[in-house]
Amino acid sequence: MLSYLVVLFFFIMISPSAVATKYKRTVEKYQVPDVTLVNQEGKRINLRTYLESDKPVILDFIYGTCTTICPVLSIGFSHFQKKLGPDADKVRLVSISIDPDNDTPAVMKEYLQRYNASDGWDFLTGKREDIIMVMRAFDAYVINKMNHYPLTILRGPGDEEWIRINELLSTSDLMQEYKLLLKK
Amino acid sequence: MKTHAFCITLRLLLITFFCFLLFVTAAPAEDNMLPEGLSGEQITRLGERMYRDGILPSGKPMEAIVMGDIPVDGRMFTCDDCHQKSGLGSVEGTVITWPTNGKELYKPRRRTGAWHPPESDETKQDARKSLPLYWQQIEDVRPAYTDESLAQVLWTGIDPAGRKLDPIMPLYHLEDRDMVILVHYLKNLSVDQAPGVDETTIRFATVVTEDVATEVRQAMVSTLQAHIDSHNSQSRHQERRAASGPFYKTEMHQAYRRWQLDVWELKGPENTWFNQLQSYYQNQPVFALLGGLTAGSWRPIHEFSEQFEIPTIFPLTDFPVISDSDWYTLYFSKGFYQEGEAVARYLNTNGNNLPDAKIVIAYRENLAAKALNQGFSETWQKFEGTEPEYLEIGPDKKLTRQFWQNTLNTYQPTVLILWLAPDDLEHISSIASKDMNRKIFFSAKQLNYSYTSIPDDLRDVVYLSYPRALPETIEGRILVVNRWLQARKIPITDLEMQAKIYFLGWMLPGAVKNMRSEFFRDYFLEGFDMMIDQDYAIAVYPRLTFGSGQRYASKGCYIVQLTKGPYPKLVRKSNWIIH
Repeated sequence: MLSYLVVLFFFIMISPSAVATKYKRTVEKYQVPDVTLVNQEGKRINLRTYLESDKPVILDFIYGTCTTICPVLSIGFSHFQKKLGPDADKVRLVSISIDPDNDTPAVMKEYLQRYNASDGWDFLTGKREDIIMVMRAFDAYVINKMNHYPLTILRGPGDEEWIRINELLSTSDLMQEYKLLLKK
Repeated sequence: MKTHAFCITLRLLLITFFCFLLFVTAAPAEDNMLPEGLSGEQITRLGERMYRDGILPSGKPMEAIVMGDIPVDGRMFTCDDCHQKSGLGSVEGTVITWPTNGKELYKPRRRTGAWHPPESDETKQDARKSLPLYWQQIEDVRPAYTDESLAQVLWTGIDPAGRKLDPIMPLYHLEDRDMVILVHYLKNLSVDQAPGVDETTIRFATVVTEDVATEVRQAMVSTLQAHIDSHNSQSRHQERRAASGPFYKTEMHQAYRRWQLDVWELKGPENTWFNQLQSYYQNQPVFALLGGLTAGSWRPIHEFSEQFEIPTIFPLTDFPVISDSDWYTLYFSKGFYQEGEAVARYLNTNGNNLPDAKIVIAYRENLAAKALNQGFSETWQKFEGTEPEYLEIGPDKKLTRQFWQNTLNTYQPTVLILWLAPDDLEHISSIASKDMNRKIFFSAKQLNYSYTSIPDDLRDVVYLSYPRALPETIEGRILVVNRWLQARKIPITDLEMQAKIYFLGWMLPGAVKNMRSEFFRDYFLEGFDMMIDQDYAIAVYPRLTFGSGQRYASKGCYIVQLTKGPYPKLVRKSNWIIH
């Protein structure tokens, strides 16, 4: 007990801000646009149909040459899949490119390989106008891709509402959100 | 929920305790403790590999924890992803990545002018006390790092001021020896300012080879010089501000430099160009190369740029070096290669019966056809398409009616790709037939954007790769360039080329200003990498886009068809980017 208190003391002294992560979480309704995007295999995918899945959906907006935010989002997806293990393909992870000029299927495929993505994680690109439409639909549009911000959007199977989180998440936070989707 | 929260808290406690132990017991990392048996150069190279590739000296990936509980394989997420090659950091959306170069780390970090002390009850009540502090009264954000404290922050995420870094900064699991190597690298990263800059001037050069016609060279140099003159015309005001402007803007104003443009003319055979460039550079170093012209491949200048780590910004070439990893040359596009690539992409997305399609590519041996073929074949292979047949036409071969008939009868192509110039198309109409269902592709650039050589009876099946903006979409932008050149009394002899140089000059001040007084070449390039996508000032392409390591700003190419008649119009058949 004493040693625990000693650790606690140092913990407070050294890192007063190290408390459980708080993040802003809102419930939103989005109208998914009826657009056709292209995945890392070059396969054409109707986004609306694709997201009306019987699996939970976790979605983010990234691009292949992003310097800071996207790598952390993608490492989060990668580790989340790893934690799910054989259940990884029971959740649909969707990364939508905000740099469609550069993010071709070949670039996206290489990107997913770098993050050891397994089945169930798709990276989508498409016509610039369509991408802008999708970003607007999810209230994620930024004129300059360098001004984007971390955003994770989740929906349980059959749900109408989406959970929107405007911050980077730890795996435990993402796992907790995922479990909440399943409990509904 | 309570149990879960307790688990998280307990985990954090353990992590913190572990970090604390490291803090107490870790060996200091000092220069005099550099690993034995390694030269300074070897240590730098190993440190660079850790920083840029996430690979330990042992060859294994670095390991770290990010966001509190996400293990990171160093190859997925390297130091230079965020802190950039220069180490000068980056700003992306809501995330600011601070510099990690030796020059910045080993001095205290001052607060920026935007900082305001937190409001206390006392200052709320007394207006006088809420007045901003004098600059000298404001405490530093953190003291200068030492080798030891730098190692500690990389291990624990706690800086010498006791602040905990944002959890987006990975905590690295590094052995003492590896940490010493990384700290040594950071300590020496971007310390000495690049050559080509002094207290008053940034010196640039543009490279022109002697095979470029005088009037073309003149058009390029005069347009570029007009931008330089325009910048320098502000010198009087900028230098006055630097001398007597307000202290809190000192850094900004003192960063101002005049620009100087040298012209490096290369003569003789291509294999002597590298030495000529080296000689020019040794006589008078420049900070970067701007624009530039040669009739042939840009490769010799590209290689010089890579070897000496000198940025080259927007050379005017149709024959760039195609590379995923080279760093120092930023091109407008991949040139002819990009047209070949576009044709392959178009066929992949629009050829309904392609698995059985027979593709024949006829070409004459020249640089353009070589680049077009390379672009097509490298892209087509990714789609795992059937290997095309290549028909090389000898230099003296006349393309008669008989030639075209024989070609059709022999190869029976479904898709005929003709990387040929207008002179070769005199008898092309002989391949027209009523029930023709094949597609024929040309490069619009190779046709010099002149389409009268394509007969009316073929136009239903002829497709062109068109690597620039459609004419009706850029009238306004062309007008702006025209007026700009006229106002400066620059003869308009090659509007497309001059529009590109106009754009280069339009972008340059932003990239220079982004550096502030940190005149490092990697940082200069990173300024371009961070630029917003451009569709306003460029009158040649629909848009140019940028990103870290993206070295071809124009990514697209239309596929178009022609209307019939003596003045054909372009009919767009694809998006600018074909996925």
